[in-house]
Amino acid sequence: MNPTPFRAICRRVSRLQHGLRPGQMQPAKSTKQKHYHSSTSPDPSPFSPVETTILSSALTHVPTHGFTETSLIAGARDAGYLDATVNLFPHGVFDLISYHLATRRLSLKDEVQFLPETHLGIGAKVRALALHRLRANGPVIRHWQQALAIMAQPSYVPASLKELSLLADEIWFLAGDTAVDTSWYSKRATLALVYSSAELFMATDSSPGFRETEQFLDRRLEEVRSLGGVLGAVGEWAAVSGKGFVNVLRSKGVGI
Amino acid sequence: MTLALRLRAVTRQKWQTHIPRRTTRPFHTPSRQFQQQQQQQQQQQQHQEDNNSRSTHFGYETIAESEKEGRVRNVFSSVAASYDTMNDLMSFGIHRIWKDEFVRALKPGSLHSVDKGWNILDIAGGTGDIAFRMLDYATNVKNDSKTRVTISDINPDMLAEGRKRSLWTPYGGTERLSFLEANAENLESVASESVDLYTVAFGIRNFTNKQKALEEAFRVLKPGGVFACLEFSKVQNSLFNAIYKRWSFSMIPIMGQLVAADRDSYQYLVESIEKFPSQEEFKNMIELAGFIVPSQAYENLTGGIAAIHRGIKPLHKAQ
Repeated sequence: MNPTPFRAICRRVSRLQHGLRPGQMQPAKSTKQKHYHSSTSPDPSPFSPVETTILSSALTHVPTHGFTETSLIAGARDAGYLDATVNLFPHGVFDLISYHLATRRLSLKDEVQFLPETHLGIGAKVRALALHRLRANGPVIRHWQQALAIMAQPSYVPASLKELSLLADEIWFLAGDTAVDTSWYSKRATLALVYSSAELFMATDSSPGFRETEQFLDRRLEEVRSLGGVLGAVGEWAAVSGKGFVNVLRSKGVGI
Repeated sequence: MTLALRLRAVTRQKWQTHIPRRTTRPFHTPSRQFQQQQQQQQQQQQHQEDNNSRSTHFGYETIAESEKEGRVRNVFSSVAASYDTMNDLMSFGIHRIWKDEFVRALKPGSLHSVDKGWNILDIAGGTGDIAFRMLDYATNVKNDSKTRVTISDINPDMLAEGRKRSLWTPYGGTERLSFLEANAENLESVASESVDLYTVAFGIRNFTNKQKALEEAFRVLKPGGVFACLEFSKVQNSLFNAIYKRWSFSMIPIMGQLVAADRDSYQYLVESIEKFPSQEEFKNMIELAGFIVPSQAYENLTGGIAAIHRGIKPLHKAQ
């Protein structure tokens, strides 16, 4: 079968997905978001220069003050603004969290690079990328449960899930996955599930260098791999029996 | 506008030169008639241009700019006493929720007791609705007893109502609350770069020159200061919009007649809401004045009947 229409469909689907970037949560965004991955031109930051200035300095206060308004105000002051300026962030602390999430996601492609001579499989690349992203939460891990609680507030759940799906998409893209069949969805869904559970585990992990989180991640990925194999076998069995059943009907004279 | 008029005038001239309209007066040659008409029309045009160059909306009417201030003053002088009753009736009390939400969204007040509090300017805040709420928020939520609000209004009757009400709050007569009778387009008694937060709730709609008021807000705000506006806006859902329009155009003037004995003022109210720019247009006006707007530039309330707009004065003016 010609793969072109498939690819076109998938591109359209991924375009839909990317239409749900933070850009849509913020309808008045003037910077244009790309609807596809491009290896030649980088994604524009979803935050304006002033927002970036304030949020990046606010992030330096998170290890001491947590994801709170105090950190935001301290960031605004550091950047030379007033307490009142935090009105630039209508979602308050959640904007600080989504800044952390978005910047960590976008910096993955610069921080993790696979040399062509290291012949890693896609699975190993996904593991390395997910682990790197988890480690990026290290400096703020003491306050990560607080952040998760804010992300779980009903009005922020859609935006948080969007960010998670964008991260899963980013990791598969950077790992070099080019599948355009239905596994496009299952891959992203399972990775999102694995990543979020590992993140939750890490929030209470006190082992040096987050070794236990690493082991946890490996176990989950292994489960997915074996489960994926089982699902594949079940699918193959279903296809063969289905064909057989149709043939039986045909032999009985049913016009299929 | 003037171009369209002129075009229409030109086409009319051509049309009329070919048709001798008054056959009973043969001494009027077509050419003479043409000259006369041309002169008349030029005079008319001149007259219209004089008006048009300085005209503005007053509800659905188009009036001279110089008139608007006085007529808005009359509207609010006449509604000042029954202001709250009417607001409650017209919005089923929802205007209180909007005002609460507005203040909660702005989070006025310093977080640390060592700070000197915010300097807030509440424009068109005559009856004190927003000012008292902001002082309550600062005091009770932020534990800040230093934040000050200046209530400014162009209308002395509304200010008198606010003064009266302030005596029922803990802030009346204290230095945290002051009153100022001023035109928002020209706040000369307010120093440049002296205000942390500039609020205007259900007021900017009535201004003669909104852009000038925005520029004046930009002047009085400190760099990093916030412009915040709560105003009627455009309903997003078309079905809800139809119901809302039917309600506002048929019921509100009647209620004005029955409760406040003043139909015209409330007719003006609904027309001025209809005339006010949409969310996106108003956002552009805020940006034009030099503010930077948040990535989510406005927040719709009750499906867009009202909207909260915010703008931040940048540290350095945009190039």
